[in-house]
Amino acid sequence: MKKTIRQILWAALLVAPCLVYAQHHEKSPEQAAAQSRPKAAKPAIAVGVAYDAHGRLWLARVENQHLLVSYSDNSGAHFSAPVRVTVAPEAIAADGENRPKIALGVDGSVMLSWTQALPQNYSGNIRFARSIDGGKSFSEPITLNDDGRITSHRFDTLVTDGKGRVTVAWLDARDRDAAKATGGAYAGISVYTAQSQDNGAHFSANRRLTEHTCECCRVSAVWSDEGPVVFWRNLYGTHTRDFAYARLDDGVVHRASDDDWQIDACPHHGGDIAADGRGALHLVWFTNGKTRQGLFYKRIAGTKESVPMAFGTAAAQAGHPGIAAAGDRVILTWREFNGHVYEAYAQRSDDRGATWSPPVRLAEAAGIADYPLPLFSGTRAWVVWNAAAEGLRVLPVEFGSGK
Amino acid sequence: MKRACVGFAWLLAAWGSPVYAAEPQSFTANSLAAIQAKYAGRPFILSMWSVNWCGHCITELTMLGKAAKTHKQLPLVLVATDTPEFSAAIQQTQKRLGLAKVDSWVFDDDIPERLRHAVDPAWHGELPRTYLYDAKHRREPVMGVLSEQKLKAWLKQNQ
Repeated sequence: MKKTIRQILWAALLVAPCLVYAQHHEKSPEQAAAQSRPKAAKPAIAVGVAYDAHGRLWLARVENQHLLVSYSDNSGAHFSAPVRVTVAPEAIAADGENRPKIALGVDGSVMLSWTQALPQNYSGNIRFARSIDGGKSFSEPITLNDDGRITSHRFDTLVTDGKGRVTVAWLDARDRDAAKATGGAYAGISVYTAQSQDNGAHFSANRRLTEHTCECCRVSAVWSDEGPVVFWRNLYGTHTRDFAYARLDDGVVHRASDDDWQIDACPHHGGDIAADGRGALHLVWFTNGKTRQGLFYKRIAGTKESVPMAFGTAAAQAGHPGIAAAGDRVILTWREFNGHVYEAYAQRSDDRGATWSPPVRLAEAAGIADYPLPLFSGTRAWVVWNAAAEGLRVLPVEFGSGK
Repeated sequence: MKRACVGFAWLLAAWGSPVYAAEPQSFTANSLAAIQAKYAGRPFILSMWSVNWCGHCITELTMLGKAAKTHKQLPLVLVATDTPEFSAAIQQTQKRLGLAKVDSWVFDDDIPERLRHAVDPAWHGELPRTYLYDAKHRREPVMGVLSEQKLKAWLKQNQ
Protein backbone atom coordinates (compact mmCIF):
# COMPACT_ATOMS: atom_id res chain seq x y z
CA MET A 1 0.00 0.00 0.00
CA LYS A 2 2.75 2.40 1.06
CA LYS A 3 4.65 1.52 -2.07
CA THR A 4 1.66 2.37 -4.22
CA ILE A 5 1.31 5.75 -2.54
CA ARG A 6 5.02 6.40 -3.07
CA GLN A 7 4.66 5.50 -6.72
CA ILE A 8 1.74 7.88 -7.11
CA LEU A 9 3.71 10.63 -5.40
CA TRP A 10 6.67 10.04 -7.70
CA ALA A 11 4.40 10.11 -10.71
CA ALA A 12 2.85 13.33 -9.46
CA LEU A 13 6.29 14.91 -9.04
CA LEU A 14 7.26 13.95 -12.56
CA VAL A 15 4.00 15.18 -13.99
CA ALA A 16 3.79 18.41 -12.02
CA PRO A 17 5.95 20.53 -14.32
CA CYS A 18 3.86 19.33 -17.23
CA LEU A 19 0.52 20.23 -15.72
CA VAL A 20 0.86 23.84 -16.65
CA TYR A 21 1.85 22.81 -20.12
CA ALA A 22 -1.06 20.41 -20.36
CA GLN A 23 -3.59 22.95 -19.15
CA HIS A 24 -2.47 25.48 -21.67
CA HIS A 25 -2.17 23.21 -24.64
CA GLU A 26 -4.71 20.41 -24.38
CA LYS A 27 -7.74 22.25 -25.64
CA SER A 28 -10.68 21.56 -27.83
CA PRO A 29 -10.43 23.06 -31.33
CA GLU A 30 -13.10 25.55 -30.32
CA GLN A 31 -11.03 26.74 -27.38
CA ALA A 32 -7.89 26.78 -29.47
CA ALA A 33 -9.66 29.03 -31.96
CA ALA A 34 -10.75 31.34 -29.18
CA GLN A 35 -7.22 31.42 -27.83
CA SER A 36 -5.61 32.16 -31.16
CA ARG A 37 -7.08 35.65 -31.18
CA PRO A 38 -4.84 38.33 -29.79
CA LYS A 39 -5.18 38.42 -26.00
CA ALA A 40 -4.79 42.19 -25.82
CA ALA A 41 -7.20 43.71 -23.35
CA LYS A 42 -10.42 44.88 -24.95
CA PRO A 43 -10.64 48.66 -25.08
CA ALA A 44 -12.46 50.10 -22.10
CA ILE A 45 -15.65 51.04 -23.86
CA ALA A 46 -17.47 53.07 -21.21
CA VAL A 47 -16.53 56.75 -21.17
CA GLY A 48 -17.49 59.79 -19.10
CA VAL A 49 -18.47 63.03 -20.81
CA ALA A 50 -19.57 66.54 -19.79
CA TYR A 51 -19.82 69.97 -21.37
CA ASP A 52 -18.41 72.95 -19.56
CA ALA A 53 -20.05 76.39 -19.56
CA HIS A 54 -18.03 77.44 -22.63
CA GLY A 55 -19.20 74.58 -24.82
CA ARG A 56 -16.04 72.53 -24.44
CA LEU A 57 -16.75 68.80 -24.40
CA TRP A 58 -14.70 66.94 -21.80
CA LEU A 59 -13.98 63.24 -22.11
CA ALA A 60 -12.74 60.77 -19.51
CA ARG A 61 -11.72 57.35 -20.77
CA VAL A 62 -9.66 54.38 -19.65
CA GLU A 63 -6.72 53.00 -21.55
CA ASN A 64 -4.20 50.44 -20.32
CA GLN A 65 -5.37 50.83 -16.72
CA HIS A 66 -4.97 54.58 -16.75
CA LEU A 67 -7.62 57.29 -16.67
CA LEU A 68 -7.15 59.88 -19.40
CA VAL A 69 -8.81 63.25 -19.88
CA SER A 70 -9.08 65.20 -23.12
CA TYR A 71 -11.42 67.82 -24.55
CA SER A 72 -12.94 68.94 -27.82
CA ASP A 73 -13.89 72.45 -28.90
CA ASN A 74 -15.63 71.28 -32.08
CA SER A 75 -18.19 68.77 -30.86
CA GLY A 76 -15.93 65.78 -30.98
CA ALA A 77 -14.32 66.30 -34.40
CA HIS A 78 -10.95 66.63 -32.71
CA PHE A 79 -9.84 65.98 -29.17
CA SER A 80 -6.86 67.42 -27.33
CA ALA A 81 -3.89 65.25 -26.44
CA PRO A 82 -5.01 63.21 -23.42
CA VAL A 83 -3.64 64.00 -19.97
CA ARG A 84 -3.16 61.15 -17.53
CA VAL A 85 -5.02 61.38 -14.23
CA THR A 86 -3.90 58.18 -12.54
CA VAL A 87 -0.38 57.98 -11.16
CA ALA A 88 -0.14 54.19 -10.92
CA PRO A 89 -2.09 51.76 -13.10
CA GLU A 90 -5.47 50.81 -11.64
CA ALA A 91 -8.17 48.33 -12.60
CA ILE A 92 -10.69 51.05 -13.44
CA ALA A 93 -14.23 49.81 -13.95
CA ALA A 94 -15.29 51.02 -17.40
CA ASP A 95 -17.85 48.73 -18.96
CA GLY A 96 -21.54 48.05 -18.61
CA GLU A 97 -22.89 49.83 -15.56
CA ASN A 98 -19.47 51.31 -14.75
CA ARG A 99 -17.78 54.34 -16.26
CA PRO A 100 -15.46 57.13 -15.14
CA LYS A 101 -17.37 60.32 -14.26
CA ILE A 102 -16.26 63.84 -15.14
CA ALA A 103 -17.72 67.14 -13.91
CA LEU A 104 -16.72 70.79 -14.34
CA GLY A 105 -16.67 73.79 -12.05
CA VAL A 106 -17.26 77.30 -13.37
CA ASP A 107 -13.83 78.24 -12.03
CA GLY A 108 -12.33 75.78 -14.55
CA SER A 109 -11.77 72.90 -12.16
CA VAL A 110 -12.10 69.44 -13.70
CA MET A 111 -13.24 66.71 -11.32
CA LEU A 112 -13.29 62.96 -11.78
CA SER A 113 -14.55 59.98 -9.88
CA TRP A 114 -14.25 56.32 -10.72
CA THR A 115 -14.40 52.85 -9.23
CA GLN A 116 -11.16 50.98 -8.79
CA ALA A 117 -11.86 47.26 -8.93
CA LEU A 118 -9.93 45.28 -6.33
CA PRO A 119 -8.75 41.69 -6.83
CA GLN A 120 -11.34 40.34 -4.39
CA ASN A 121 -14.66 39.57 -6.09
CA TYR A 122 -17.15 42.42 -6.07
CA SER A 123 -14.88 44.77 -4.13
CA GLY A 124 -13.67 48.23 -5.05
CA ASN A 125 -12.68 51.72 -3.99
CA ILE A 126 -14.27 55.04 -4.91
CA ARG A 127 -11.53 57.27 -6.29
CA PHE A 128 -11.39 61.00 -6.91
CA ALA A 129 -8.97 63.43 -8.53
CA ARG A 130 -9.20 66.97 -9.85
CA SER A 131 -7.44 69.59 -11.90
CA ILE A 132 -7.33 73.27 -11.00
CA ASP A 133 -5.35 74.32 -14.06
CA GLY A 134 -7.90 73.55 -16.75
CA GLY A 135 -6.97 69.90 -17.15
CA LYS A 136 -3.22 70.38 -17.66
CA SER A 137 -2.39 68.41 -14.51
CA PHE A 138 -4.30 66.46 -11.89
CA SER A 139 -4.08 65.95 -8.17
CA GLU A 140 -2.97 62.55 -6.93
CA PRO A 141 -6.07 60.32 -6.77
CA ILE A 142 -7.60 59.79 -3.34
CA THR A 143 -9.91 57.06 -2.05
CA LEU A 144 -13.18 58.49 -0.79
CA ASN A 145 -14.58 55.48 1.07
CA ASP A 146 -13.24 55.90 4.59
CA ASP A 147 -14.26 52.66 6.31
CA GLY A 148 -11.00 50.82 5.68
CA ARG A 149 -12.82 47.66 4.60
CA ILE A 150 -12.05 45.69 1.48
CA THR A 151 -15.59 45.29 0.25
CA SER A 152 -17.96 46.57 -2.39
CA HIS A 153 -17.60 50.33 -2.79
CA ARG A 154 -18.68 50.65 -6.38
CA PHE A 155 -21.08 52.29 -8.88
CA ASP A 156 -20.03 55.85 -8.09
CA THR A 157 -21.75 58.94 -9.42
CA LEU A 158 -20.44 62.52 -9.37
CA VAL A 159 -22.34 65.82 -9.51
CA THR A 160 -21.53 69.44 -8.82
CA ASP A 161 -23.37 72.73 -8.72
CA GLY A 162 -20.36 74.13 -10.56
CA LYS A 163 -19.82 76.69 -7.79
CA GLY A 164 -17.91 74.62 -5.27
CA ARG A 165 -20.32 72.01 -3.98
CA VAL A 166 -19.48 68.49 -5.12
CA THR A 167 -21.25 65.25 -4.27
CA VAL A 168 -20.09 61.70 -4.88
CA ALA A 169 -22.56 58.89 -4.12
CA TRP A 170 -21.98 55.14 -4.42
CA LEU A 171 -23.14 51.68 -3.39
CA ASP A 172 -21.38 50.51 -0.26
CA ALA A 173 -21.40 47.11 1.47
CA ARG A 174 -19.95 48.17 4.85
CA ASP A 175 -23.27 47.86 6.71
CA ARG A 176 -23.96 44.47 5.19
CA ASP A 177 -20.48 43.27 6.14
CA ALA A 178 -20.85 44.57 9.69
CA ALA A 179 -24.21 42.82 10.07
CA LYS A 180 -22.90 39.58 8.63
CA ALA A 181 -19.84 39.69 10.89
CA THR A 182 -22.15 39.39 13.86
CA GLY A 183 -24.12 36.62 12.19
CA GLY A 184 -27.05 38.76 11.14
CA ALA A 185 -28.90 38.63 7.86
CA TYR A 186 -28.85 41.76 5.72
CA ALA A 187 -30.77 42.55 2.58
CA GLY A 188 -28.91 44.45 -0.11
CA ILE A 189 -26.25 47.07 0.54
CA SER A 190 -26.23 50.84 1.24
CA VAL A 191 -25.80 54.18 -0.50
CA TYR A 192 -23.04 56.37 0.94
CA THR A 193 -22.00 59.87 -0.02
CA ALA A 194 -19.04 62.21 0.37
CA GLN A 195 -19.49 65.95 -0.13
CA SER A 196 -17.14 68.83 -0.77
CA GLN A 197 -17.71 72.57 -0.44
CA ASP A 198 -14.53 73.60 -2.27
CA ASN A 199 -14.53 71.91 -5.69
CA GLY A 200 -13.13 68.70 -4.30
CA ALA A 201 -10.15 70.06 -2.37
CA HIS A 202 -11.60 68.51 0.78
CA PHE A 203 -14.39 66.02 1.38
CA SER A 204 -16.59 65.50 4.40
CA ALA A 205 -16.61 62.15 6.20
CA ASN A 206 -18.71 59.53 4.43
CA ARG A 207 -22.39 59.72 5.21
CA ARG A 208 -24.92 56.97 4.82
CA LEU A 209 -27.90 58.01 2.73
CA THR A 210 -29.87 54.80 3.01
CA GLU A 211 -29.63 51.08 3.67
CA HIS A 212 -31.02 48.06 1.80
CA THR A 213 -30.53 48.90 -1.84
CA CYS A 214 -29.98 46.71 -4.87
CA GLU A 215 -26.34 45.68 -5.16
CA CYS A 216 -25.12 46.27 -8.68
CA CYS A 217 -27.20 48.78 -10.63
CA ARG A 218 -25.53 52.08 -11.42
CA VAL A 219 -26.41 55.01 -9.16
CA SER A 220 -27.35 58.27 -10.89
CA ALA A 221 -27.48 61.82 -9.61
CA VAL A 222 -28.26 65.34 -10.76
CA TRP A 223 -27.79 68.80 -9.31
CA SER A 224 -31.27 70.35 -9.10
CA ASP A 225 -32.31 73.76 -7.81
CA GLU A 226 -32.81 71.95 -4.50
CA GLY A 227 -29.28 70.57 -4.40
CA PRO A 228 -28.04 67.07 -5.25
CA VAL A 229 -30.63 64.39 -5.97
CA VAL A 230 -29.62 60.72 -6.05
CA PHE A 231 -31.54 57.99 -7.89
CA TRP A 232 -30.97 54.26 -7.34
CA ARG A 233 -32.59 50.83 -7.47
CA ASN A 234 -33.84 50.24 -3.96
CA LEU A 235 -35.03 47.20 -2.05
CA TYR A 236 -38.58 47.21 -0.75
CA GLY A 237 -39.14 44.31 1.60
CA THR A 238 -36.52 41.67 0.90
CA HIS A 239 -36.56 41.36 -2.87
CA THR A 240 -38.69 44.03 -4.52
CA ARG A 241 -36.25 45.98 -6.64
CA ASP A 242 -37.95 49.26 -7.56
CA PHE A 243 -36.37 52.71 -7.71
CA ALA A 244 -36.01 55.44 -5.10
CA TYR A 245 -34.66 58.98 -5.06
CA ALA A 246 -33.60 61.40 -2.34
CA ARG A 247 -32.58 65.04 -2.16
CA LEU A 248 -29.41 64.88 -0.12
CA ASP A 249 -30.09 68.19 1.61
CA ASP A 250 -33.10 66.71 3.43
CA GLY A 251 -32.18 63.03 3.13
CA VAL A 252 -35.78 61.88 2.75
CA VAL A 253 -36.06 58.75 0.62
CA HIS A 254 -38.98 58.73 -1.84
CA ARG A 255 -40.24 55.80 -3.81
CA ALA A 256 -39.74 56.59 -7.50
CA SER A 257 -41.22 53.54 -9.21
CA ASP A 258 -43.88 51.04 -8.22
CA ASP A 259 -43.33 48.17 -10.64
CA ASP A 260 -43.31 45.32 -8.11
CA TRP A 261 -40.20 43.67 -9.50
CA GLN A 262 -39.68 40.89 -6.98
CA ILE A 263 -36.51 39.01 -7.75
CA ASP A 264 -33.53 37.78 -5.75
CA ALA A 265 -31.20 38.58 -8.58
CA CYS A 266 -28.99 41.33 -9.93
CA PRO A 267 -30.67 43.23 -12.75
CA HIS A 268 -27.39 45.10 -13.40
CA HIS A 269 -29.55 47.67 -15.12
CA GLY A 270 -29.89 51.06 -13.46
CA GLY A 271 -31.68 54.26 -14.37
CA ASP A 272 -30.92 57.93 -14.89
CA ILE A 273 -32.17 61.27 -13.57
CA ALA A 274 -32.22 64.84 -14.90
CA ALA A 275 -33.57 68.17 -13.60
CA ASP A 276 -35.09 70.80 -15.91
CA GLY A 277 -34.99 74.58 -15.71
CA ARG A 278 -37.98 74.75 -13.39
CA GLY A 279 -36.80 72.16 -10.91
CA ALA A 280 -38.82 69.17 -12.08
CA LEU A 281 -37.10 65.79 -11.95
CA HIS A 282 -37.09 63.48 -14.97
CA LEU A 283 -36.50 59.78 -14.43
CA VAL A 284 -35.85 56.85 -16.77
CA TRP A 285 -35.43 53.23 -15.68
CA PHE A 286 -35.73 49.57 -16.59
CA THR A 287 -37.99 47.09 -14.85
CA ASN A 288 -39.32 43.61 -15.37
CA GLY A 289 -41.90 43.80 -12.60
CA LYS A 290 -45.42 42.51 -12.27
CA THR A 291 -46.93 45.94 -12.89
CA ARG A 292 -44.86 46.95 -15.90
CA GLN A 293 -41.98 45.64 -17.98
CA GLY A 294 -39.42 47.49 -20.06
CA LEU A 295 -38.10 51.06 -20.15
CA PHE A 296 -40.12 53.86 -18.55
CA TYR A 297 -40.04 57.61 -18.12
CA LYS A 298 -41.73 59.79 -15.54
CA ARG A 299 -41.63 63.41 -14.39
CA ILE A 300 -41.85 64.52 -10.79
CA ALA A 301 -42.76 68.20 -10.32
CA GLY A 302 -43.50 69.11 -6.75
CA THR A 303 -46.15 66.67 -5.59
CA LYS A 304 -47.24 65.85 -9.15
CA GLU A 305 -45.95 62.70 -10.77
CA SER A 306 -46.69 61.75 -14.38
CA VAL A 307 -47.92 58.29 -15.32
CA PRO A 308 -44.90 56.16 -16.37
CA MET A 309 -44.45 56.29 -20.16
CA ALA A 310 -43.06 53.21 -21.89
CA PHE A 311 -40.37 53.64 -24.53
CA GLY A 312 -38.06 51.41 -26.58
CA THR A 313 -38.76 48.08 -28.26
CA ALA A 314 -38.78 45.28 -25.72
CA ALA A 315 -38.24 42.61 -28.42
CA ALA A 316 -34.98 44.37 -29.33
CA GLN A 317 -33.84 44.26 -25.70
CA ALA A 318 -34.17 48.03 -25.34
CA GLY A 319 -32.13 49.00 -22.31
CA HIS A 320 -29.69 51.26 -20.50
CA PRO A 321 -31.65 54.50 -20.63
CA GLY A 322 -30.20 57.97 -20.17
CA ILE A 323 -31.83 61.37 -19.73
CA ALA A 324 -30.73 65.01 -19.84
CA ALA A 325 -32.61 68.30 -19.54
CA ALA A 326 -31.97 72.01 -20.10
CA GLY A 327 -34.62 74.68 -19.74
CA ASP A 328 -37.82 73.20 -21.19
CA ARG A 329 -35.97 70.66 -23.31
CA VAL A 330 -35.50 67.02 -22.36
CA ILE A 331 -33.95 64.15 -24.29
CA LEU A 332 -33.97 60.50 -23.34
CA THR A 333 -31.80 57.81 -24.92
CA TRP A 334 -31.49 54.05 -24.95
CA ARG A 335 -29.83 51.18 -26.78
CA GLU A 336 -31.34 48.30 -28.75
CA PHE A 337 -30.01 45.21 -30.49
CA ASN A 338 -31.82 44.47 -33.76
CA GLY A 339 -30.43 40.97 -34.21
CA HIS A 340 -27.37 42.20 -36.09
CA VAL A 341 -26.13 45.47 -34.64
CA TYR A 342 -26.65 47.80 -31.73
CA GLU A 343 -28.74 50.91 -32.34
CA ALA A 344 -28.84 54.14 -30.34
CA TYR A 345 -32.20 55.87 -30.05
CA ALA A 346 -33.45 59.15 -28.64
CA GLN A 347 -36.75 60.88 -28.02
CA ARG A 348 -37.01 64.61 -27.40
CA SER A 349 -39.48 66.83 -25.62
CA ASP A 350 -39.59 70.63 -25.77
CA ASP A 351 -42.30 70.96 -23.12
CA ARG A 352 -40.56 69.50 -20.08
CA GLY A 353 -41.61 65.94 -20.79
CA ALA A 354 -45.35 66.53 -21.35
CA THR A 355 -45.18 65.37 -24.98
CA TRP A 356 -42.46 63.48 -26.84
CA SER A 357 -41.19 63.10 -30.39
CA PRO A 358 -41.29 59.65 -31.99
CA PRO A 359 -38.10 57.63 -31.50
CA VAL A 360 -35.15 58.88 -33.54
CA ARG A 361 -32.63 56.26 -34.60
CA LEU A 362 -29.29 58.00 -34.17
CA ALA A 363 -26.68 55.46 -35.23
CA GLU A 364 -25.70 51.81 -35.19
CA ALA A 365 -22.65 49.96 -33.93
CA ALA A 366 -21.44 46.63 -35.27
CA GLY A 367 -19.55 45.48 -32.19
CA ILE A 368 -18.89 46.43 -28.60
CA ALA A 369 -20.72 49.64 -27.76
CA ASP A 370 -21.20 51.84 -24.73
CA TYR A 371 -24.55 53.12 -23.56
CA PRO A 372 -25.63 56.24 -25.47
CA LEU A 373 -25.04 59.27 -23.23
CA PRO A 374 -27.36 62.30 -23.58
CA LEU A 375 -26.18 65.76 -22.64
CA PHE A 376 -26.81 69.43 -23.32
CA SER A 377 -24.51 72.29 -24.16
CA GLY A 378 -26.65 75.35 -23.58
CA THR A 379 -29.88 74.50 -25.37
CA ARG A 380 -28.24 72.16 -27.90
CA ALA A 381 -28.77 68.47 -27.32
CA TRP A 382 -26.15 65.82 -28.04
CA VAL A 383 -25.74 62.12 -27.63
CA VAL A 384 -22.24 60.76 -27.15
CA TRP A 385 -21.89 57.14 -28.20
CA ASN A 386 -18.63 55.25 -27.99
CA ALA A 387 -18.20 52.03 -29.96
CA ALA A 388 -15.20 49.82 -30.62
CA ALA A 389 -15.50 49.77 -34.41
CA GLU A 390 -16.97 53.21 -35.07
CA GLY A 391 -15.13 55.17 -32.39
CA LEU A 392 -16.52 57.97 -30.28
CA ARG A 393 -19.41 59.74 -32.00
CA VAL A 394 -20.99 63.00 -30.88
CA LEU A 395 -24.44 63.01 -32.45
CA PRO A 396 -26.71 66.05 -32.54
CA VAL A 397 -30.38 65.76 -31.59
CA GLU A 398 -32.15 68.49 -33.52
CA PHE A 399 -35.06 70.27 -31.89
CA GLY A 400 -35.77 72.43 -34.92
CA SER A 401 -36.66 76.09 -34.71
CA GLY A 402 -40.44 75.71 -34.37
CA LYS A 403 -40.58 76.34 -30.66
CA MET B 1 10.65 17.78 -22.46
CA LYS B 2 7.74 18.96 -24.57
CA ARG B 3 7.12 15.55 -26.03
CA ALA B 4 7.44 13.96 -22.59
CA CYS B 5 4.92 16.43 -21.27
CA VAL B 6 2.48 15.68 -24.03
CA GLY B 7 2.92 12.01 -23.15
CA PHE B 8 2.25 12.68 -19.49
CA ALA B 9 -0.70 14.85 -20.35
CA TRP B 10 -2.11 12.00 -22.39
CA LEU B 11 -1.51 9.67 -19.45
CA LEU B 12 -3.29 12.08 -17.15
CA ALA B 13 -6.21 12.31 -19.52
CA ALA B 14 -6.33 8.53 -19.78
CA TRP B 15 -6.48 8.21 -16.01
CA GLY B 16 -9.78 9.97 -15.86
CA SER B 17 -11.21 13.42 -15.39
CA PRO B 18 -8.68 16.03 -14.36
CA VAL B 19 -8.85 17.46 -10.86
CA TYR B 20 -8.37 21.04 -11.92
CA ALA B 21 -11.23 23.13 -13.22
CA ALA B 22 -11.19 23.12 -17.00
CA GLU B 23 -11.02 26.46 -18.73
CA PRO B 24 -14.55 27.55 -19.62
CA GLN B 25 -15.50 26.96 -23.24
CA SER B 26 -16.50 29.84 -25.49
CA PHE B 27 -20.26 30.29 -25.46
CA THR B 28 -21.43 31.60 -28.82
CA ALA B 29 -24.79 31.87 -30.56
CA ASN B 30 -24.66 28.15 -31.44
CA SER B 31 -23.52 26.84 -28.09
CA LEU B 32 -26.91 26.16 -26.57
CA ALA B 33 -27.68 23.82 -29.49
CA ALA B 34 -24.39 22.03 -28.82
CA ILE B 35 -25.23 21.70 -25.14
CA GLN B 36 -28.71 20.39 -25.92
CA ALA B 37 -27.22 17.88 -28.35
CA LYS B 38 -24.80 16.68 -25.70
CA TYR B 39 -27.70 16.13 -23.29
CA ALA B 40 -30.06 14.70 -25.92
CA GLY B 41 -32.73 12.62 -24.19
CA ARG B 42 -31.39 13.61 -20.77
CA PRO B 43 -32.44 16.27 -18.27
CA PHE B 44 -30.00 19.01 -17.34
CA ILE B 45 -29.71 22.32 -15.55
CA LEU B 46 -28.51 25.41 -17.39
CA SER B 47 -27.40 28.07 -14.94
CA MET B 48 -26.39 31.56 -16.05
CA TRP B 49 -24.17 33.59 -13.70
CA SER B 50 -21.46 36.25 -13.56
CA VAL B 51 -18.21 36.18 -11.65
CA ASN B 52 -17.79 39.91 -12.19
CA TRP B 53 -20.88 41.46 -10.63
CA CYS B 54 -23.49 39.00 -9.38
CA GLY B 55 -23.43 38.29 -5.65
CA HIS B 56 -26.72 36.40 -5.80
CA CYS B 57 -25.11 34.02 -8.26
CA ILE B 58 -22.60 32.97 -5.61
CA THR B 59 -25.55 32.08 -3.35
CA GLU B 60 -26.93 29.84 -6.08
CA LEU B 61 -23.57 28.32 -7.01
CA THR B 62 -22.79 27.59 -3.36
CA MET B 63 -26.03 25.62 -3.14
CA LEU B 64 -25.28 23.84 -6.42
CA GLY B 65 -21.77 23.03 -5.20
CA LYS B 66 -23.23 21.30 -2.15
CA ALA B 67 -25.69 19.44 -4.36
CA ALA B 68 -22.84 18.33 -6.63
CA LYS B 69 -21.19 16.68 -3.62
CA THR B 70 -24.14 14.38 -3.01
CA HIS B 71 -25.05 13.98 -6.68
CA LYS B 72 -21.78 13.10 -8.34
CA GLN B 73 -23.39 13.14 -11.78
CA LEU B 74 -25.33 16.37 -11.34
CA PRO B 75 -26.11 17.34 -14.96
CA LEU B 76 -25.17 20.96 -14.53
CA VAL B 77 -24.05 23.42 -17.20
CA LEU B 78 -22.72 26.76 -15.97
CA VAL B 79 -22.59 29.72 -18.33
CA ALA B 80 -20.85 32.86 -17.12
CA THR B 81 -22.06 35.98 -18.93
CA ASP B 82 -18.69 37.66 -18.45
CA THR B 83 -16.00 37.64 -21.14
CA PRO B 84 -13.17 35.14 -21.76
CA GLU B 85 -10.83 37.55 -19.94
CA PHE B 86 -12.55 36.37 -16.76
CA SER B 87 -11.75 32.69 -17.41
CA ALA B 88 -9.24 32.40 -14.57
CA ALA B 89 -11.63 34.01 -12.06
CA ILE B 90 -14.43 31.73 -13.28
CA GLN B 91 -12.25 28.64 -12.81
CA GLN B 92 -11.14 29.74 -9.36
CA THR B 93 -14.67 30.45 -8.21
CA GLN B 94 -16.03 27.17 -9.53
CA LYS B 95 -13.19 25.29 -7.85
CA ARG B 96 -13.77 27.06 -4.55
CA LEU B 97 -17.46 26.17 -4.64
CA GLY B 98 -16.92 22.50 -5.53
CA LEU B 99 -17.97 22.96 -9.15
CA ALA B 100 -14.63 22.35 -10.82
CA LYS B 101 -15.88 19.40 -12.82
CA VAL B 102 -19.16 20.65 -14.21
CA ASP B 103 -19.58 21.86 -17.79
CA SER B 104 -18.36 25.44 -17.83
CA TRP B 105 -18.87 28.10 -20.50
CA VAL B 106 -18.25 31.82 -20.79
CA PHE B 107 -19.96 34.35 -23.09
CA ASP B 108 -17.71 35.12 -26.04
CA ASP B 109 -19.36 37.77 -28.18
CA ASP B 110 -18.89 41.52 -28.42
CA ILE B 111 -22.67 41.81 -28.23
CA PRO B 112 -23.96 39.86 -25.22
CA GLU B 113 -27.53 40.67 -26.32
CA ARG B 114 -27.00 38.30 -29.24
CA LEU B 115 -26.20 35.43 -26.87
CA ARG B 116 -29.01 36.34 -24.47
CA HIS B 117 -31.41 36.29 -27.40
CA ALA B 118 -30.11 32.88 -28.46
CA VAL B 119 -30.79 31.55 -24.97
CA ASP B 120 -34.10 33.30 -24.32
CA PRO B 121 -35.49 36.46 -25.97
CA ALA B 122 -37.39 37.23 -22.75
CA TRP B 123 -34.20 37.45 -20.72
CA HIS B 124 -32.85 40.97 -20.11
CA GLY B 125 -29.62 39.93 -18.51
CA GLU B 126 -30.59 39.78 -14.85
CA LEU B 127 -28.72 37.09 -12.92
CA PRO B 128 -28.83 34.39 -11.74
CA ARG B 129 -31.15 32.84 -14.29
CA THR B 130 -31.57 29.09 -14.48
CA TYR B 131 -33.34 26.77 -16.91
CA LEU B 132 -34.48 23.36 -15.70
CA TYR B 133 -34.61 21.01 -18.70
CA ASP B 134 -36.47 17.72 -18.53
CA ALA B 135 -35.51 14.70 -20.64
CA LYS B 136 -37.62 15.99 -23.52
CA HIS B 137 -35.92 19.35 -23.14
CA ARG B 138 -39.03 21.18 -22.12
CA ARG B 139 -37.55 23.85 -19.92
CA GLU B 140 -38.67 25.90 -16.96
CA PRO B 141 -36.96 29.27 -16.47
CA VAL B 142 -36.15 30.25 -12.90
CA MET B 143 -35.61 33.97 -12.33
CA GLY B 144 -33.42 34.77 -9.36
CA VAL B 145 -31.72 32.31 -7.06
CA LEU B 146 -32.69 28.65 -7.58
CA SER B 147 -33.87 27.37 -4.21
CA GLU B 148 -32.66 24.10 -2.75
CA GLN B 149 -36.25 22.87 -2.52
CA LYS B 150 -36.81 23.56 -6.18
CA LEU B 151 -33.62 21.73 -7.10
CA LYS B 152 -34.54 18.74 -4.93
CA ALA B 153 -38.00 18.55 -6.47
CA TRP B 154 -36.46 18.69 -9.93
CA LEU B 155 -33.90 15.98 -9.08
CA LYS B 156 -36.67 13.77 -7.73
CA GLN B 157 -38.68 14.15 -10.92
CA ASN B 158 -35.81 13.82 -13.33
CA GLN B 159 -33.51 11.18 -11.93
